[in-house]
Amino acid sequence: MSTPKRTPDTAATRLSRLLALVPWLSAHEGIRIDDAAAHFGVTPEQLQSDLWLLVCTGRPGHMHGDLVDIQFWDEDGRISVIDAQTLDRPLRLSPDEAASLLVALRVLAQVPGPHDRAALAGATTKLEAAAGEALRAADGLTVSVDSTLDPEVTAAVTRALAEGKRLHLGYVGAVDERTERDVDPMRVLTLDGRTYLEAWCRRAEAVRTFRLDRIDGIEVLDLDADVPEDAVPVDLGAGALHPEGPPVTLALAPEVAWIAEENPVESVTDLGGGRLRVVMPVADERWLVRLLLRSGDAVTVLDRPDIVERVRAEAFGALAAYAPDAG
Amino acid sequence: MSQKDRTERLLNLLFALMASSRPVPKHVLREAIDAYRESPSEEAFERMFERDKDELRSMGVPVETVEGADGVGGIEGYRVAADDYALPAVDFTADELAVLGLAARVWEQASLGPAAQSAMRKLESLGPGYVIDGPVGIETRIATAEPSFPVLVDALRARRRVRFDYRKPGDAVPETREVEPHGIASRRGHWYLLGRDVNRDAPRVFRLSRVVGAAVLVGPAGAYAIVPTDVGGSGDRIGREIDASPAAREGALAARVRVAADRAHRLRRRAVHVDPGPDGDVLDLTYSDDEALASELVALGGAVVVLEPPSLRAAVVRRLRAAAGEGTS
Repeated sequence: MSTPKRTPDTAATRLSRLLALVPWLSAHEGIRIDDAAAHFGVTPEQLQSDLWLLVCTGRPGHMHGDLVDIQFWDEDGRISVIDAQTLDRPLRLSPDEAASLLVALRVLAQVPGPHDRAALAGATTKLEAAAGEALRAADGLTVSVDSTLDPEVTAAVTRALAEGKRLHLGYVGAVDERTERDVDPMRVLTLDGRTYLEAWCRRAEAVRTFRLDRIDGIEVLDLDADVPEDAVPVDLGAGALHPEGPPVTLALAPEVAWIAEENPVESVTDLGGGRLRVVMPVADERWLVRLLLRSGDAVTVLDRPDIVERVRAEAFGALAAYAPDAG
Repeated sequence: MSQKDRTERLLNLLFALMASSRPVPKHVLREAIDAYRESPSEEAFERMFERDKDELRSMGVPVETVEGADGVGGIEGYRVAADDYALPAVDFTADELAVLGLAARVWEQASLGPAAQSAMRKLESLGPGYVIDGPVGIETRIATAEPSFPVLVDALRARRRVRFDYRKPGDAVPETREVEPHGIASRRGHWYLLGRDVNRDAPRVFRLSRVVGAAVLVGPAGAYAIVPTDVGGSGDRIGREIDASPAAREGALAARVRVAADRAHRLRRRAVHVDPGPDGDVLDLTYSDDEALASELVALGGAVVVLEPPSLRAAVVRRLRAAAGEGTS
């Protein structure tokens, strides 16, 4: 559950909530005020004030029997809808509401994982039926994620998660090091268009994420996964899985401006003429060395002479193998 | 007027419009609702009523205007038909609601997040019981960090033109573009807008991260049509662009490289053949573009040596010299 935003309600947002609240409470008879408030992302006090507003309005005339009747003042803190008047059904979905869920369901259909595919298909069909005209908002809004994953890898990860089994992985990290390890799968994460396995790594004795496209060899072991109870899943807030490390300042020529788009950066400054100065965190200096090797003189490191020297030495060393051509 | 009073007034108006099976004339509404009855003048009431009616409609409440209400010629009446108001009764199973909850979380912290959450509250009213978010072994998130995203979604839905400053990589200054949006697509974690560039009178693809500042809506809604086949066409355009990229055209050329033991693992996975040897393993690769593959190979430094073809060797040597600070002389 996300933290409720503390933006003040407008009359429209509050009315929307009231209209959703009555049918939801009818369908969840006897729910506790605290639980309902948390579910709607408001404080219990705000929810009670919503309920008071509802029981004070009704059909013109305000005669007994014309009012919405909800009981919520008993000491057990539970809510009972006695008479919902004409609000017993929720308002149909708005175009944004319909589009948000439909596009997300289509994304879930693309991502690997142990989620219930039959329920996904059923939910999609029923949502389309329920949304009607509002569905048109989803026209032209599409999301596609990693389509190049190895089916053997996705099948093994899905099966291990569904059956609670341990996996043996070969993994090639960001700097092209290959390691082998046993992991106990926790979740499949899809973030920023990439898919990861989150798992308890038995080698590191810690939670680790593995990009599925970097898994090089996978085997479902005939052992039950055993994720420690205190294993903390990755926080999926903004910037999740972005590299952390000391910042490095680079000057980018126009033809490598993509570096600032493809990597998380702390700041980008326009140097004029299409050149950029970027400050970016670098978790592993070997990654930066590789980037500099491939970029030639299009990238200049402004604050790390030691890195500049490493790159130069590496390039000289590599050139030695081409002595006949290079000489 | 406090927010509470206004909410109450809107709710009373909605009740009044839903309670009657026949259209309700304006003067009847004025008598029936306290806040209207107490408004100081006819004009004040009219303004209040018009605003309320628009507010309900903007929330999606289908307020119908009917001429000749109650058989009295020339008088407008209003109503909200219960069947048009309500979400059709669809029975979701608990499993389906669980998967919808997973879908709603896809937009958490993104601009469509609140819409997805309020949609869920509505759908949960149709299904059984209280759904608890349990561990399902999968979480998917789509970020919409680009400030222009919500504006472009509005524009696409309303078929309205948008104007924004756009800077391509390498451009010194951004250029103002006016576009009729035909599609918004996320590919590999990046958002793209597909649409007709009005000044160039041609279809264009824009990357949202290159939009500078805010996008603004211009002109009326319904300013252009999206032909259904065109939507597919627009969507495929990005697909075609990606397919046309060097990475996707792999396979036309052949290279042979020698890699050091236990190095170049990603390259090894791409190899069509690996020939182990005492000085390292020789890999046969298929590729499409010397420069693209050279860029990948020089990143590996001394761990890889190109054996053939000569054009690829030359490309690698030139890049290594640049990295070594020898220039390209």
